[in-house]
Amino acid sequence: MQSFQQDCVALAFEKFRRGEVSRRGLMAGLAALGVGAGLSPGEAAAQGRQLVMVNWGGIANEGFGRFYGEPFMAANQGVRVVQDSTGPSAGRIRSMVESGRVTWDLCDSSASSSQLLGRQNLATRIDYNIVNRNDVIGPGFALEFGAAPYSFSSVLAYDSARFPNGAPQNWADFFDLRRFPGTRLLRRDALATLDAVQMALGKDPRNLYPLDVRACLARIREVRRNAVFWNSGSESEQFLRTGEAVMGQIWHTRANVLQRETNGRIKFIWNQGLLQAGIFVIPRGNQGGELAQRLLASMLSRPEPQVGLLQFLGNGPTNPRAAAQVPAEFRAVNPTDPENERQQVVLNGVWWGENYQQVNQDFLDVVTG
Amino acid sequence: MAMAAQRQGGWWLLILPAFLLMTAFYVTPILQVLAISFTEPQPGLQNYERLFTSESVQRVIVTTLRICTITTVLALLLGYVLSYKIALADERARRWWILAVLVPLWISVLVRAFAWVTLLRRQGLVNETLMGAGLIQEPLALVWNEFGIIVGMVHYMVPYAVLPMLASMREIDPRLLAAARGLGAPRGTVFFRVFLPLSLPGLIAAGVLVFIFSLGFYITPAILGGGKTLMVAEWIGLQILDLIRWGLGTMMATMLVVTILVTLAIFSRVVNLRRVFGSGA
Repeated sequence: MQSFQQDCVALAFEKFRRGEVSRRGLMAGLAALGVGAGLSPGEAAAQGRQLVMVNWGGIANEGFGRFYGEPFMAANQGVRVVQDSTGPSAGRIRSMVESGRVTWDLCDSSASSSQLLGRQNLATRIDYNIVNRNDVIGPGFALEFGAAPYSFSSVLAYDSARFPNGAPQNWADFFDLRRFPGTRLLRRDALATLDAVQMALGKDPRNLYPLDVRACLARIREVRRNAVFWNSGSESEQFLRTGEAVMGQIWHTRANVLQRETNGRIKFIWNQGLLQAGIFVIPRGNQGGELAQRLLASMLSRPEPQVGLLQFLGNGPTNPRAAAQVPAEFRAVNPTDPENERQQVVLNGVWWGENYQQVNQDFLDVVTG
Repeated sequence: MAMAAQRQGGWWLLILPAFLLMTAFYVTPILQVLAISFTEPQPGLQNYERLFTSESVQRVIVTTLRICTITTVLALLLGYVLSYKIALADERARRWWILAVLVPLWISVLVRAFAWVTLLRRQGLVNETLMGAGLIQEPLALVWNEFGIIVGMVHYMVPYAVLPMLASMREIDPRLLAAARGLGAPRGTVFFRVFLPLSLPGLIAAGVLVFIFSLGFYITPAILGGGKTLMVAEWIGLQILDLIRWGLGTMMATMLVVTILVTLAIFSRVVNLRRVFGSGA
């Protein structure tokens, strides 16, 4: 299953190949990365302290190195922040913690995974004496076992050419196959999908949780035959672009690309989008120790690099002061712009952390049934 | 007698380093991982109990076996026709035929899956052609279902079916066929009573190879299934990486290994399996 982070990387690569991200930007980032990557962990440790940040590969190395690592290094002489692109899935974090040699310090994870890892005693509790809870826009972005320096959203995108007599406005329209016929596109993951179903079933978005899993799954079972399910972001883009699906729930980064490249044939709306926290976790027993908390605090507290990352990878900032600094042309695609944020629903990472294993298994059973 | 045994023991000593290396760095870690299926979440057999109680576990097994069986049958049918044609062709034509069979083998499984998407999707070549010719009104659902998966898998497996069958067919003495014809047997009888029985070992070997290969398919079903079909390899990946239910994931991995070993054990009694793994006759 591809995560949002992996997809950002893939997307940025596509942008670079099409010339939308400058080569100079890429080279600068790679040079910065080369400094870190040129030293073995032992050597770097001998020269000073080192932190290993783990991302999902490729160009996130550059984005995270430039907007998270470099500002911290500049403020903390003698500390080196190194990027590792192994892809820190919950399973990999677990195998590292259990191996007893934890070389990862800060991992790009998710709200539900942080909860899952924390419950299994595989992640370190965030020390909110170091990390400032007021550096994020809402409580969903500063959790017990992780905090979010960026955000993303699962939004409703549709092919406007197929619906000349009125576009879908919300998830109720999305699941109304009679008024809006055609194949639907959903992520093959219960998280964010069932939240949308729950809204379609009429529950108040402000009071969405706990989800009525049984009812939501029943609705999925009904639309299953008229739906396809995506695993990776590029796949979701292709399904809509080629007309295989007429409407989908996809990540805002992909929706934005589609809207731009189809000249508005494919549109997306922020209304009832599932706003999610890009949670970083600290594996238990990490070698960098408390310094990882300080790096996380630094990532949360600086709005400028977060705005830079929005322009570079599309990830939304989470610092409350960031939205005002976003250049006008990027505001429409910023999930945490006040205008957009107010239309969305923040996904409840705590509820999902407690229920993800079972609910997602049940969801997979329905989807593949 | 004693001398011979001693000499045999000597030969075994020569492969001992390689054997120890494999055991230490390959077999032991795998066994360690598979052992998790007996220890998590609690020590015991509760993960294996799910084979009988969990509809979800049963579904993924049944789906996998169904797709693999259909794939094997179709790949054998197509492969047999191809091998027959190649075995009876003259030397020059045979070389071209073999090249044509082998070329797809060298193309990445990913590229081939995407090629099928391009052909089979709603606005793909097949549907556009059929609609352009007025044969259908609505595009056919050729992909994002088990049909699409099986098309992709059969395409991948046909070369693996051809190679062992071709090896076995080329061992058949063509004079036997001529003799049967000379004794008055019609073509059909020659095929069913002479050629087919003689090519049977190759057919079975190819069937075992294709079936075992199909069990582990990951990419093709993921791309062509539209997310609606889970085969066992992808299911294990989900349990290990995303759901962190290692006990359940490794239980399924153990079942996969056991299924493969049992299949091999059964058929090694029927045919010479060395043929399957490339050491032709």
